[in-house]
Amino acid sequence: MPRVDLPPLEEPFDEAFRQLLPVLISTKRRLDGGRVERLRARRAVLSQSGTFVGHRRYERGDDLRHLDWAAYARTGELFTKQLEEDDRRAVTVAVDLSASMLAGSPQRRTGALRLAAVIGGLALARLDGVCLVTPGASAPSQRFVGVAQLPALLEHLRALPVADTDPGAVGALVLSSESVGRVHWISDFAPPREFEPPLRALRRRGAKVSGWIPVVPEDEAPPSGGYLRVVDPESGRSLSVPVDPGLHVELRRQLALLERQQRQMFAEVGSPLLRWPFAARGLDEPDLLDHLPIVAACAR
Amino acid sequence: MSLAHPEYLWALAVLPLLWWLSRPPAPRRHLWTAHMQQWQLAMRALRRRPPRGSWLRLLLLAIALVAAVFAAAGAQTAARPGPMRLVVLLDASASMAAARGGASAFDRARAKIAARLAALPAHVEVTLLRCGGDLRRRYGEAARQLSDVGRPSGELDVDLAGLADALRSAETQVWACTDGQGQVRLPAAGALDVFDARGDNASVLAVRVEDRWPLPDLRVEIDVVVHAAAGSAVQIMAAGAVEGGAQRRTVDWTDSQTATVSLDLQRLPGGGELELRVMLPGDVLPADDVRRLRLPPLPAPRVAVLEDEAAGPFAAVAAKALAEEVRGKVVEAAAGGEVGLLLVDGGVTSMAAGAVRALTFGARLPGQEEPEAWLSPQGIDWDREHVVTRGLDLSELEVDRAWRDLLPEGEPLIWSDEGGQREPLAVLVQGEGVASLHFAFRLRDANLPLLAAFPQLLRRGFVRSYDKAASLERDEGALPAGELDLRYAQPATSRPLGRFGAPPESLARWWLAVGLLSLGLRAFVR
Repeated sequence: MPRVDLPPLEEPFDEAFRQLLPVLISTKRRLDGGRVERLRARRAVLSQSGTFVGHRRYERGDDLRHLDWAAYARTGELFTKQLEEDDRRAVTVAVDLSASMLAGSPQRRTGALRLAAVIGGLALARLDGVCLVTPGASAPSQRFVGVAQLPALLEHLRALPVADTDPGAVGALVLSSESVGRVHWISDFAPPREFEPPLRALRRRGAKVSGWIPVVPEDEAPPSGGYLRVVDPESGRSLSVPVDPGLHVELRRQLALLERQQRQMFAEVGSPLLRWPFAARGLDEPDLLDHLPIVAACAR
Repeated sequence: MSLAHPEYLWALAVLPLLWWLSRPPAPRRHLWTAHMQQWQLAMRALRRRPPRGSWLRLLLLAIALVAAVFAAAGAQTAARPGPMRLVVLLDASASMAAARGGASAFDRARAKIAARLAALPAHVEVTLLRCGGDLRRRYGEAARQLSDVGRPSGELDVDLAGLADALRSAETQVWACTDGQGQVRLPAAGALDVFDARGDNASVLAVRVEDRWPLPDLRVEIDVVVHAAAGSAVQIMAAGAVEGGAQRRTVDWTDSQTATVSLDLQRLPGGGELELRVMLPGDVLPADDVRRLRLPPLPAPRVAVLEDEAAGPFAAVAAKALAEEVRGKVVEAAAGGEVGLLLVDGGVTSMAAGAVRALTFGARLPGQEEPEAWLSPQGIDWDREHVVTRGLDLSELEVDRAWRDLLPEGEPLIWSDEGGQREPLAVLVQGEGVASLHFAFRLRDANLPLLAAFPQLLRRGFVRSYDKAASLERDEGALPAGELDLRYAQPATSRPLGRFGAPPESLARWWLAVGLLSLGLRAFVR
């Protein structure tokens, strides 16, 4: 890989965000923690307890004991019962630390860290804790419990390095964790095909995964002119491109196509994909309303 | 390859600048993206390519620059060592005119030299020395064209071997072309071509003519030499302007000895060319076989006399004697009549000196005043070298009376030497094609008609009055003795010319062509 000088890391948590974060955590919405159970692949004690929360289509590899035969009798199709365990609830947040997250202005990594902080803060305040999965970091899987560890969570997030890892490593780390709960995977999910195998693997193991993409302005409004040197921070490859309106339109089409591919991939694995435009109003003045969708999504 | 101006290679330092200039401009704005694939797909969809420098274009430009620098630096091939000059020693002695097989040795030598020089590289300086006869030097293009090298003539009076040794050097090749005749030795080094022209030869060495003009009698003595094997029949033939057609005479000859043949001939009245030829079967050198004489036509020997009343009979007698001497006749001097000689004794004549053929004795010319009488001139003497008076005995000439200042300007033939001062008594006046002879005394006033030399003096005056019309013309003389015996030549084997050196050849035009080609190709490379 060609050597490339990566752009400097931005400060993810400024004072305004630190002040906003407690307000966000104190919102009264219920938070979805997901089931905590020993994963099927580990052939351990399988818990069948919990609250029935709904169905999903059967996928190959699902535990046959969770099949809802009554629904099969009614519809002729196989559905798996989704159960929610009440006693032990947790959230797993996987953050992509790859160099590609440094793209954008402000950097996508900043949005990712803030998103992890919000989700993690909510989990610390309302659930049993949060497990932070960051392949490539010195502590790739770190668990935080209790709202008192919110500063530690922020500091941990802030100190995370830039590390290029395979998406499969995220899935492996999540599956190796003792308690998984609901999995929030924050990444740019580009290119989508590299993320599909670990998502399917997590899904087969029964993990409930939500994909998060911190949206940077360039995702929706690429440059419309100028002579640019486009650099992929992950691979180091660069491209000198004179941008004209024709290329701008084509690039928007390609980005829209990418977004569709991402949605399609998540739909195929039965997981939601959420896009959070974290810099819609600028980073310096974070607004509560911009962050409420995160709370709402976590409550579902 | 070498360079005439290597200092121009400093221009190659521009190459890094060319490389820098050929690079595409670097974008000032950087955009970090996670969607490199989408950028590439978008550009591919629009068939766009990122601006980039072409290594091929840079390479072609660099080649053009290097080629231009090398052209300016005077790139040239290495010089090939060797002679750069050629001196051709062409033997043009008379013996080179000897022919065997139809072509003379000289013509064969010329043809071979012309062919070889035509194939010679242009940078070789060629000098051609014609040796034999008059020495001629031709240089450069004139030498290559063999301009004005003449025909074989004269004697080879140079030592070809010595001359070749003196001229030959590391820078000069010498090529000697000779027949090997008349040389003690031939060049031992350098190129050599010997054109064999050996064979028998008979030559006319000399022709002596006793011309009795204005009489038709002609006596010719011919010296011939024959270089041939004994037994060959040698003849002398005289043909042309003689009565009775061609006349032949067998020559009694001895090998390499001069034999003389005498011929008594009668010329034709109209004159013409007389060819004297020696004939030998198998003669290889015809140039020395013939001698030609151009005989003057015989005059019209009509003698007219003008004399005053007191002149006496001497003029008429003299005219009669002259007519008998030249087989002519005495005619009356009448206006419009054609005469060969006018003889005037005394009186006044209207003719101008040197305008007509005439002998005047004491006659006054037009425009002259009455001359002063000159009694008994003393110390009479004559020109003993002049063609008119040479060999005549005029010692007994006595003149009783002459006239001073009577004679026109002319060559004095007879004069009176009184007190160390010559006073002419007879002069010859040369005109255009004619001459007149004037005496300062009448015949009756001197004893000239009584002298034994008088008839001869009259005859010589008659001949001299015809000036050049009475003399015969001869062609050129005999060949040198050393060029006549052609039976022997120095043995030698021909040696070809060696390899010449070559000067450095400029490669500038080739380098320029390479540079232009590179630039041309670069126009089509993207």
